Formats: sequence, C-alpha cells, structure tokens
Amino acid sequence: MGKEESPQVTRRTTRSSSSATVATKTCDSHPLTIKDLVFGEDPISLNDLLSSFPGRRIQILELVRLLGASNSPMLPLFIYGGSSSGKTSIVLQMFRHLNRPFVYSSCRTCYSPRILFESVLNQLLLHRKDAANGYLSAKRCERPSDFVNFLREALSNVINNFKGNSGKLGTKKLVGQADGNMVYLIFDNLELVREWDKSSTILPFLFNLYDILKMPEVGLIFVSNTSPDTYYSNMGYMEPIPVYFPDYTEDDLRQIFMKNQANRKLYSSFLDVVLRPFCRITRRVDELSTAFLPLFQKYCEPLHDLGVVPNEEMKRRLFSHLQPQIAPSLNEVFKVSSQSSPAAESNKETKKKSSRRKLGVCAEIDELDFHMSTSAKYLLLSAFLASRNPATLDASLFDSMGGIDSRKRKRKSSQKSLEKKENAEQELLMKGPGTFPLERLLAIFQCLTSVAEGSIDEEEQGDEGVQGGDGGLMSDVLLQLSSLCNANFIVKGGSCPLEGSTRYRSTVCEDMALKVARSLKFPLSKYLYRR
Amino acid sequence: MGRENTVEEALNLLRSRLCNPSFVFKPLSDSPDSNYSKLKFIISSSVTEACNNSILLLGPRGSGKIAVLELVLKDLLLEFPDLISVIKLSGLLHSDDNCAFKEISRQLCAEHQLLFSKMASFDDNSQFMIAMLRECGLAHKTIIFVLDEFDLFAQGKQRVLYSLLDAMQSVTSQAVVIGVSCRLDADQLLEKRVRSRFSHRKLLFLPPSKEDLQRLLEHILSLPVDSTISHDYAVEFNAKLQKILADEKFKQIIITYMDSDATVNHLLRFLFRAVSYMDLGSGFLSLENFKTALSNIQRQPKLECIKDCSILELHILVCMKRLEVKEQNSYNFNSVMKEYKSIRASFQMSEYYAWNICLRAFEHLLQRELICFTDNRGQNQSVEFRPAKLLISSHELQQGLKSYRSCPAILLKLMDREV
Repeated sequence: MGKEESPQVTRRTTRSSSSATVATKTCDSHPLTIKDLVFGEDPISLNDLLSSFPGRRIQILELVRLLGASNSPMLPLFIYGGSSSGKTSIVLQMFRHLNRPFVYSSCRTCYSPRILFESVLNQLLLHRKDAANGYLSAKRCERPSDFVNFLREALSNVINNFKGNSGKLGTKKLVGQADGNMVYLIFDNLELVREWDKSSTILPFLFNLYDILKMPEVGLIFVSNTSPDTYYSNMGYMEPIPVYFPDYTEDDLRQIFMKNQANRKLYSSFLDVVLRPFCRITRRVDELSTAFLPLFQKYCEPLHDLGVVPNEEMKRRLFSHLQPQIAPSLNEVFKVSSQSSPAAESNKETKKKSSRRKLGVCAEIDELDFHMSTSAKYLLLSAFLASRNPATLDASLFDSMGGIDSRKRKRKSSQKSLEKKENAEQELLMKGPGTFPLERLLAIFQCLTSVAEGSIDEEEQGDEGVQGGDGGLMSDVLLQLSSLCNANFIVKGGSCPLEGSTRYRSTVCEDMALKVARSLKFPLSKYLYRR
Repeated sequence: MGRENTVEEALNLLRSRLCNPSFVFKPLSDSPDSNYSKLKFIISSSVTEACNNSILLLGPRGSGKIAVLELVLKDLLLEFPDLISVIKLSGLLHSDDNCAFKEISRQLCAEHQLLFSKMASFDDNSQFMIAMLRECGLAHKTIIFVLDEFDLFAQGKQRVLYSLLDAMQSVTSQAVVIGVSCRLDADQLLEKRVRSRFSHRKLLFLPPSKEDLQRLLEHILSLPVDSTISHDYAVEFNAKLQKILADEKFKQIIITYMDSDATVNHLLRFLFRAVSYMDLGSGFLSLENFKTALSNIQRQPKLECIKDCSILELHILVCMKRLEVKEQNSYNFNSVMKEYKSIRASFQMSEYYAWNICLRAFEHLLQRELICFTDNRGQNQSVEFRPAKLLISSHELQQGLKSYRSCPAILLKLMDREV
C-alpha cells in the first residue's frame, strides 16, 4: 500500500529494511548517531506536505495538532483507514516535516514479538546489523518484560542525549516537568498482530505500553487497516485516540492521478472517461493506478504528439477509440498484484498488456500459460475428477470401456426430481470439491493414462503403449503429486479420522481443468459426472 | 511573537497535565474519606507497626487506581525514606512465574545495590526473595509489592502469589502486597490456599461525581496565575474557561461523552483532543473545540467502513443480506454470486462484473472486516467455498446505504423490499 505518491516514499523502504536486514544504503559504514533517528532528508514545509497528499488536508492538520509542539507530551494515537489510503506515507512524511526523532516498525516485516521488539531496540540503540556483528540484534529479547526494561533504558539514554545536546547548544530550553525532546514509536500494520500466536497478550501489552512505560517523553502511534472496534477483547485496555483516514473520493482520486502528469489536459480528458466506471469497482489507488497505466497508453495510441491539447472533436475520437477497451479491462482490473516495486511493476505491466491484447483478439485461448509435464497434467485431471465425481460412480465410469453410458445417465437424471437436483446443486456450491484418498487418485490416474494411451495407440499405432501406467511410474507420480501440492493445485487436507490416511482435494476450477484436458486432447467431459 | 510563545507554553502546560495522571488525581485525594487517605492510612500503619498486609484496589479501567497508588507511595517515600522499598510487577509482563521471580529479584537487587545475575534459576530467585523478605523484616524495612493487573497473576498455578503470601505469614517478614485489578471478582479467582492467606481488604474506585467532575475540569484546564505564563493572559484565559464550563451546552457535551464510560481517563482523552484543537491565533479554548473533539472521538467505524465501500462491494453486501433474510443458515461466495446474478437478471442491471472481480471485491470486504468466514479452520478450502457471514446488522447496512453518496436506488429498494 501507499506507493501512490511515489517520489518521497522510497525512504520508507530503506528505513524499514535497514531495521530488518542490513542497511540498504550501501556500506558507507559511518557509525549511526542520534541524528539518524529523524527522517534523514531535508524537512519539508507544511504546504509541501499538504500539496503532496491531495484530499488529506483535514487528516494532516489534525495529526499536526495532535502531535503538538516539539516538546509537548502526547497520548497514544490510533490511525486507521482502508488500505492504500496513505496512512503510513503521511505519518512518515509528517515526521519529515516536523523533523523529530521516531522509530518505525511494521508488524508485517517484524512478524513475531521477538523480531518486533528487537527491531525497535536496534533502532533506538543505533545498532546496525552487519557482517562484523554477525547480523545479530543489539539485544536478545523475547519477552515483553525484558523488552520493557531494555526499552526504558534505551529511551532514557536517547532522551538524555537530546537534553544534553539542546543544553550544550543553548537553544530554547523549556522549563516545566516535560522538557527534553520527544521520541515517537510507530507501530504499523497493527491488525496483523491479531493473527500472531500470542496476540492475546501482545495486543493489550502494546496498547498499555504508554501506561507501563510512564515516560511522558514517549509518543506512541499505532497504524492499522481495521477500525478500533475489531481489537476488542475481554481483556480491555485504555483506548488510544482514534484518527480516521477515509478512502479517497472520486474527486480526490482525480487530483491524485493528475499529479506529475506531463500533459494534464490530455490526462484529465482520459480520466473523464475511465475514472467513474472504475470507481464503481474499487477506489483503491494502487489497484486503479495499475489499471490506468496501460489504458492511458491505449488512449494515446492514435496521437502522434503527446503534448497536444485535446479539443472536443479529438476527445470524441479518442473516446471512441478507447470505448471498446474499457469493458474488458474493467474485468481485468485486479490481475496484477499491487505490492511490487515500480520497476517490476512496469515489467509486469507490459506483460499484462500483451496478454490482454491476446484476450481482446480471441476471447478463448486454448493455450496454458505455464508449462506442465504430460503426466502432471493427467494427474491434475484425475485429481479434478476425484474431487468432483462421487466415489461410488468410479467403477461405472472407468469400466473396461471407459466413459459412462449416455443412455444410462440420461435415465438417471430424469428419475431425479427437480427439487432434489437443486438441493444437490446447492450442496455442491456450498461444500466445494470433495476430498479423496491417495489410492483413489492413483487408480483414476491409471485408468486415465491407459485410456489415453489406448487412444494414442489407435491413432498412431505406436509401439510404446505397453509399459507405462504400471508400477514403474509410481514413484514418479508421487513426486509429481507433491509438486502439484506445492503449486497449490491440490491441497493436502487433514487426515480422515476413520481411515487415518491423508486426504487430498483439488482446487482447480472447471475452466482450468477443461483447458488442461484440451491441451492433452483428452475427453474430460465424458468422465465428468453431472448432477 | 511573545504572545505566540505564551500561547504555545500554555498549550504545552495543558497537554503535559493531561498526560500526567498524578497531577490529575491530586485534587480528588484531599477529603478524608477518599481512597487516597484510606490507602495511605493502611500502608503507613503497616509500615509503622511493622506488620504484614495485603489489599486489593478494584475499579474499572482508567479510574485512577495506579495514579492514586503512586501518589500515596510518593508521599510515603518522602515520609519514611529508609523504611520502604517498592517492587512493581505487571500482570501483562510478569504473569509467567519464572519471569515474575526474576523481575522481583532484579528490582530487589537494584534497590539494595546487589549484583543481579541473569543466570539465576527459578529456585534461586524464589529463595533469594524469601531471604530478602526475612532480612528486610529484621532491619524493619517494609517491602511493598505492587501487582498491577492482579487478575492475570491468578492464572495458572498462582505460585508467585502463594510464595509471596506464604512468606508473609511468618513473624519476621514485613511486607505489603497491593493488587490492582479492573476485575471486581479478582479475589474469587484465587486458589483456596492463596485466598486463605490473603486479607480481604478491598478499595473500590468509583467514577467521579458531578461536583468532582466540575472541580476536575477546572483544576486541569485553568492556567496558573503565578508562573512564567504572563499574568494577564492567564487571567483572561481562566475567565473565558469559566464561561465555557458554566455553559449548558458544554455540560451537555460532557454528559453525552461520559455516558458510555464515566472514568477519569476517558475524560482525559476527550480533553486532550479538545485542547489540541485550541486556536493558536486567539489562544483561548472555545466551545467549538469541544464540539469538534466530540464528533471526532465518537466514531461509528462500521458505518465509516460502509461509506468507504465501492458500489460493487455494496452489491455484494446487499446480496449477503438478502441471503440472510432468506434464512439460509450458511452461505459462501458461490451462493452470493448466484444471488447477485439472479438480482441482475430480474432487475435488468446494465453493468456486469466478472466472477473474479466480484471475488476480489469479496476479499476487500473481508479485509475491511465487514464480513468474515464463519469457520476459522478451513485453511485448505479455497475462498469461494468457505461459509461466510455479515458482521453488520441490517439496520447498520440500511443506514450506511442511506448515508452513502450516490447510492444506487435499486440497492435501497432491494434492502427495503426484503423479498
């Protein structure tokens, strides 16, 4: 999330990665000083901050107010709002604007309490992992109790350091109980903590951290995707002060996309066409930006000069050029994962574009866009059949002749009452593909391969049909099975309580299975039992 | 320039007051029947009479138990500087026995300038604690154990509580155990052997009365006239504040806010927000500040979430709602899609979204936590087959749709008709 305002956000990645791994900003191994706790680049003015985040004026001003003057203490804040609404970027840029020391750790990269604690401590103790210290953290700390002790120590060190500095320089030194500079701890992606093993103790601990530390010089900021009410537990805690970031409105989105555009008039007329229909699906900046990039290129195709200012007539012409593209691309919006670096994204973008063009030309493509060995394909098909067909029908489906007798099937379905059929359909929708034991899968696999080889033999009168399908293939098949499991085509389920053996389930959808069957020229529908 | 500095200084003062619980709870502890006086009497008598004691401070979260205790301890440390040492534990950090004993010995070592060994075992630490208790008893020094989140210590074997309270049964030791908990039944959680050793003294912390509240507001928000802040400004500020405090509208705001939770800390959060909205230009608090603070702090997260949804996501929500009305006991994405298609067919909706787009919108809804899966085990089942449910009531959905900007009329109709 939050790479919409691309130029400034680069710092964030280096920041979080420097805490999690080695410092990415090359090996200029200057010792970290206390100054490294601030943002690092030149501070920006409030106006720059406001203009770089269109549609976020209210939130930014509110945050500035809540953070207050440089030495005033603060109650914990809780910033929440949907993903890709600029929470993290704004908080980080805010600290760039304020030029105050902070410690940022995201619960996504720091995926366990220990890593989270150590990342916070490393940053506070100005410790950088490198080859010299064997990539170890400054302190080893697993329990919240140790963390609090270390944190208290480190924080008071840092704060004293600031106090000493400001005293030496003789800059404004305030009188009163709360002098000295503030240090802010930012915990991002807090919603992920709920999934952790020890979430029931870690969450109340984090929320109560302010009361436990009892240090007025520490400000806590929590950033989360989900609203505060999703954190309620029977434990209870002091609620932090909520700050809400609503999703961008259509006007905000227009402003965001208009930023950094070379030909604003042209882009604006482009947005007139696409923004509304896309906003009906999603208002997330990351998803929209990936969808708009290829569309805009398409839009510009008839133009020779990209700097041209479009007039009404040209707008109409461009619109009619783009019009047929919109509907298919609406249904393609979410193909590309949005969490990639800009470079990789542009790569993907081109790839996606080409694939889309293909889609545009011929609606159905028979080709699979990945490679798979023939036996793996057969295995996939047999897993699909095993999941869809009831086990009791296996014998009749795969008898010596192969294929179900169509007459028999017809009679069967006519016997069923309509209601019953509907119920069964409903059940299929609800339950999804069934599970099957390994033995059944192998049996069906053998049947399929023997049928296929038979047909090949008939066609080509080949002489290799004798071996294969039998014992020799087995170890190979198991290997293929495990790689299919790894590719998530087949899932290994829990073991059946009665039989005690592992059961499998195919997750492949019917279109996909038909595609695979087509590539093998295998008559899949013949074997598929339709309810 | 000078004026601006003054305002900033005043704002800083107010903010640091709000973040400093011991300042806030000072005025509530004057009267002789306040918890402060009671607690101080109990502890100081057990210090002077050299006896063991135990007490529970109970009250809702944020009612100032710890703050009052800190005030008492601070006073007592001034009164008997050499006779008291305080050990503080928190159930959130030290509910594990091993951890608790380690922390006790660490703090004891720090208190008495002894060398603390990280390697000491559980046994070493517990023996060290008992030995220290005896030594301190012989030296007529009282050790005060503060156990925050007391109910969490009552999980598991309660070995910490048992060994603490058991050591206090002997004549030589001299200790006070103070449990702090927001569970009113905290003493019922104790095992029999622990409960019999516990004196059932309890102090209950109640939310402040109306008069106290008024006093508290005045105490926190008015500026001192005799400080570095310019005298004239402080006087003017206080006069304006008095006016606001006397205003009926303001009283109404406070009453609405305190309806949900009447504890002092709850009030502090509200005041903090209001104070940080103070206009730096004029430099005075206004009623407007409190109004905006109220509207910003009382949020309806689910409604906000619905407002954030796209139209397609709303469609899916309405479909799920309809399925629930039809009393389908469980449904998943596939049945939602079926419903969506049937709605589309019967109302001739022009827009059509493919299956995978809808699935993605469904996932967005999951992310927003407007819906969730009913089972949490089916990890090996793909998303479209896992049974789901709505996390919002139909009333909330209806309200959300009504307040949604440019919500399609058809959705409202579908909701209302409830076919």
